[in-house]
Amino acid sequence: MENLKVNGIEKEFSAGRFPATLDELLKILAVDAATVVAELDGQIIERKDFAGTKLQKGQNIELVRFVPGG
Amino acid sequence: MDELIIAGRKFKSRLLVGTGKFASPQVMAKALEASAAEIVTVALRRVDIENKNDDTLAAIDRTKYLLLPNTSGARDAQEAVRLAKLARAATGINWVKLEITPDPNYLLPDPIETLKAAEILIKDGFVVLPYINADPILARKLEDAGTATVMPLGSPIGSNQGLKTRAALEIIIEQANVPVVVDAGLGLPSHAAEAMEIGADAVLVNTAVATADDPCQMAIAFKLAVEAGRLAYNAGAGAVSKKASASSPLTGFLRDK
Repeated sequence: MENLKVNGIEKEFSAGRFPATLDELLKILAVDAATVVAELDGQIIERKDFAGTKLQKGQNIELVRFVPGG
Repeated sequence: MDELIIAGRKFKSRLLVGTGKFASPQVMAKALEASAAEIVTVALRRVDIENKNDDTLAAIDRTKYLLLPNTSGARDAQEAVRLAKLARAATGINWVKLEITPDPNYLLPDPIETLKAAEILIKDGFVVLPYINADPILARKLEDAGTATVMPLGSPIGSNQGLKTRAALEIIIEQANVPVVVDAGLGLPSHAAEAMEIGADAVLVNTAVATADDPCQMAIAFKLAVEAGRLAYNAGAGAVSKKASASSPLTGFLRDK
């Protein structure tokens, strides 16, 4: 098992299922990349770079988006 | 009505509206349209990866409104700067409503952390609209640091109490060289009109509209109140006096003495 921490939740992936890129992770999570911005180990990753951002086990990922607010 | 100019950008509307607390995205979209607001605030939060349908802001037409991301939830300057940078990455917009509220009961803004974060963000190229207590000295310091506006509160966020800070707001308005946006606590159109009458450049309203029985009607009411207040300010109010001053002639009465 290989893991990633996504929004504070430990996500485990069986062998061969580990997402190679940030883009792939979003697909697995069924999150629409069009409205999301990501932080990978504290570093902001812009949407256009999702596909080119390689993931490694144990990384800490924050996926954020706009929500209603005042 | 005269235009509102913030950081060189012109706006016809002097009413900013928050997008929180609406019963549904559809109600929100209709109320925003009814308000004629051009600037709408949004917050930034973690994606709920267990719930696929949490993209409730899809209802906002981004070609019609300038999205103003806030840093709500930030408890210090560091958290606010992180949120602002994420928001910029998400929208490509470098405007941010700087909001640092370490106290969960009254949600009062932290003046020291707000000034600290404003300085960092301005250096990084952000257009900063700071939410502050109605503190004229702080407002001056933020303006000197280069903020695009100051946004003093009327009363605590979401409280609907109105202009509890009026005397201090009048000092801020008198001294400011950047637009003063009265933010937070405005519960009724009369509160918004009052803020505009004393010379505020704009107001920001959320709870009062979103939690009204009919948010659309309330949005229209706030729109008209803001316009009325601005027109009254520009018209220049007459003097207040302690005694009566007759409006009708004091001669030609139908009596002999």
